[in-house]
Amino acid sequence: MEKGFVMREGENGFERAMGILEMIYKLPDNLSEEDVEAMKNFVFPELQHTVIGLLELPADRELELFFFRLLLGVFKEAQRAQEEGKKLVFIPFTFPPEIFYAFDNIFPLCTEIVGGLITNICYGQGERFWDFAMGLGLPDSLCSANTIGTMPLFMGPGIRPDAIVYNSAGSCNPNAKIHAFASDYLGIPQFVLEKPVDESARGRELYRGYMKRFIRELEEWSGSEMREERLREVLEKSYQAVRLYHEYWELKKARPCPVPNIFSMTLLVLRSQLWGRQEAVDVLQKMVDISKERLRKGEYTAGEELARIYITYIYWLFDFSGYFTWLEKQGISILGDILAIHFFPEMDFSTKESMLEGLADIAFDYPMTRQMGGESISLRWLDDVAWAAQDLGADACVFGGVHACKHTLGTAAFFRREMMKRLGLPTLMLTGDVFDKRHTPMEIFQEEVKTFVEQVVARKRAQARRKKAGPSGDAAAESG
Amino acid sequence: MDTATALGRETEIYNDYVKEWKAAGGKVVGYSCVATPVEIVEAAGLLPYRIKALGNAETELADGEMSLFNCSFCRACLQLCLDGTYDFLDGLIETNGCDHLRAMFENWQHRKKLDAFYYLKVPHFFRDDSLAYFEEQLGELKGLLEEKFSSRVTDEALDEAIRGWETVRERWRDLSALREQDRPAVSGSEALALEVKGSSMLSRDFAALLQRFMEERKGAPGARPAARLMLCGPASDEVEWFEEIERLGAVVVADALCFGARAFSRSVPEEGPPLRRLAETYLSSIFCPRMYKEYPRRRELILETARRARVDGVIYLYNKFCDLHGVDSVLVRRDLEEAGIPVLVLEKEYSARADIGRVKTRVQAFMERIGGAA
Ligand code: SF4
Ligand code: SF4
Repeated sequence: MEKGFVMREGENGFERAMGILEMIYKLPDNLSEEDVEAMKNFVFPELQHTVIGLLELPADRELELFFFRLLLGVFKEAQRAQEEGKKLVFIPFTFPPEIFYAFDNIFPLCTEIVGGLITNICYGQGERFWDFAMGLGLPDSLCSANTIGTMPLFMGPGIRPDAIVYNSAGSCNPNAKIHAFASDYLGIPQFVLEKPVDESARGRELYRGYMKRFIRELEEWSGSEMREERLREVLEKSYQAVRLYHEYWELKKARPCPVPNIFSMTLLVLRSQLWGRQEAVDVLQKMVDISKERLRKGEYTAGEELARIYITYIYWLFDFSGYFTWLEKQGISILGDILAIHFFPEMDFSTKESMLEGLADIAFDYPMTRQMGGESISLRWLDDVAWAAQDLGADACVFGGVHACKHTLGTAAFFRREMMKRLGLPTLMLTGDVFDKRHTPMEIFQEEVKTFVEQVVARKRAQARRKKAGPSGDAAAESG
Repeated sequence: MDTATALGRETEIYNDYVKEWKAAGGKVVGYSCVATPVEIVEAAGLLPYRIKALGNAETELADGEMSLFNCSFCRACLQLCLDGTYDFLDGLIETNGCDHLRAMFENWQHRKKLDAFYYLKVPHFFRDDSLAYFEEQLGELKGLLEEKFSSRVTDEALDEAIRGWETVRERWRDLSALREQDRPAVSGSEALALEVKGSSMLSRDFAALLQRFMEERKGAPGARPAARLMLCGPASDEVEWFEEIERLGAVVVADALCFGARAFSRSVPEEGPPLRRLAETYLSSIFCPRMYKEYPRRRELILETARRARVDGVIYLYNKFCDLHGVDSVLVRRDLEEAGIPVLVLEKEYSARADIGRVKTRVQAFMERIGGAA
């Protein structure tokens, strides 16, 4: 069972994952149940979870196939970038990639998306990269999302960036440190956009200045100016996606939720790697169309929508089938996570200056950066998630982020209490790891969520129904 | 006065010095990070008090608020907030030192109402625009202290406080020279105990304490240590850890710790507006992994200190879950070992008795490796 594991000459995790992903070009556009089954049996066991997670539910099939084909095309561009005289930069998933697409000769590759790809596609998943990091002496309290993405650079051969970018200095230590470490250790230049922990007008003004300086530094380093025309083109694409994102958000409000769970993961990849490009627009358009159609037909995967949950931090991304698909089959809709909450200002496309200021505002309010880089982590986090959960009609929240997110863990008890006080929403607290199944296996996650939904959410709903039914129902609820 | 009296080993958070200060009507302002210019607090007529846990390993109450994945030092400090030990504080200055500290401060703020709370936003870079912003921040801090404690912080008062703390730093450097002698006249644990005690004093009293202590020690013969060690890492007020290590025959002749030499490496210039001088001095000398793109400067500081103190080895000691130091320790170990200086990296829990035994065994093995076994 070594076929997915062996790295070939000149390959590393990223290249290997792409090599395996190539098979999607051979698949017919209209995959049947039998095709999916055959494919599942063809691949090695760990990849089966990815195949099923993406393709098992008919509603997901067409979109995910379309999406992964486009994504693979973009990764191939990343691979060719250096040959074509472009600079390849690794960026964190807390940063708008459109900034880099606005350069003629810089190509961004999102660290965490690389990590996610390796974890979901390579046999042995991200574990060998994580274990390598531990072998270097790095602490096991780091975030696997960025550690697994950066480790292929240390293990070589394969892709090697020309520079590393990070923006989480002071808003997430693990994220900022692992990016800084990679550049210090490997001697690769680093570009940093610091966000002041200041939400006043002064903080924003300062950040706009930092952004302009950051762009200047990139220009000097890459030897090319960010052209106004190109910036406009990219931002126009970006705002086409923004309009679709708003439609997508509105669709999520319907009961039962017509948006398949796995689309949450798709959105995350679009935003972190493809935003500002046509591919993001095309994929989002399809996501919206499919969801609208489902809404029109009243389609929902399970017999009943038992619970609508908001993930208060981030999804686990090592087993799409066990997480997104399984929950959907149980009648549990995922409404979003912290990475799904975006704020896009009105964009003034008139000058380069006005567009750069708009970009700075987008980056200032970028998910995670906005909350963890806020003046008060606990309050900004609570306000944003509470707003999203209420707007989308959540019944409950699940904190199942990463044991590395020390800032959220440090105030999670407060968050949980306040969520209950403010909105009456219970929060299930789980610790786990986004990419490392050894921390908390998916079965445990499923077990916990299932019990939580049965014991807390479903009961609350039943009580509410009884109350609605009138005084006799009420009395029954109390005596019961 | 003998050494023991001069040191007056701290066992209490709310110690006699602070009690007397409060009894005389004085106000106390807590802070935790060396990026906080204590001169401004002192110039406002207030007592700057560095938050510490003094080896209190209890975290039961804090564990209800923070997770077990959070640094035990932060949890230990929060515990002392929650159990009322820190109720004597009149104000608190938060800084964005690390994720854990920020979370600790936020819990503190949610649970205790203080007369004054200021979030000092310390930039992560030393650049012109960061410096200008930091100076503004110091101006805001000064304004807040004036408003909340009805005092006026004049430039003269600031100058005086700056001179006071400069004296402390000069004396500290003299003390470091005594540690670095062939036969150290001061041990690492004594130095740390002095720093712990001084971090809740006015500058004049801290300087006097250092003076008295050094007078006593100047002619002391000192023994040749089995190994000359340097300790690197974050804030540590755990004198007993130093003692345990030194009991093995080693002497900690130098350190690059947050509660230790790193706080004394700076020198405020004499010319210019006081807040600008403070901003520049503090921001340029944080020497902590929270600062970015500055690893080369940190490495140089550690290397230079290790060479000057002629250390046989370096121990990098940090609390579990501390990403800042955990990651930096890998680079430090690589670079020091390349320079021929052996390094031992140790991860531990704050003040956990169980960890002391494990750490001692590893230090012992390290001393054997570097040829310094007793
Ligand atoms: S906030 Fe958490 S998930 Fe995000 S990068 Fe940091 S540790 Fe990872
Ligand atoms: S030991 Fe590390 S995690 Fe703990 S307060 Fe210090 S820097 Fe933060």
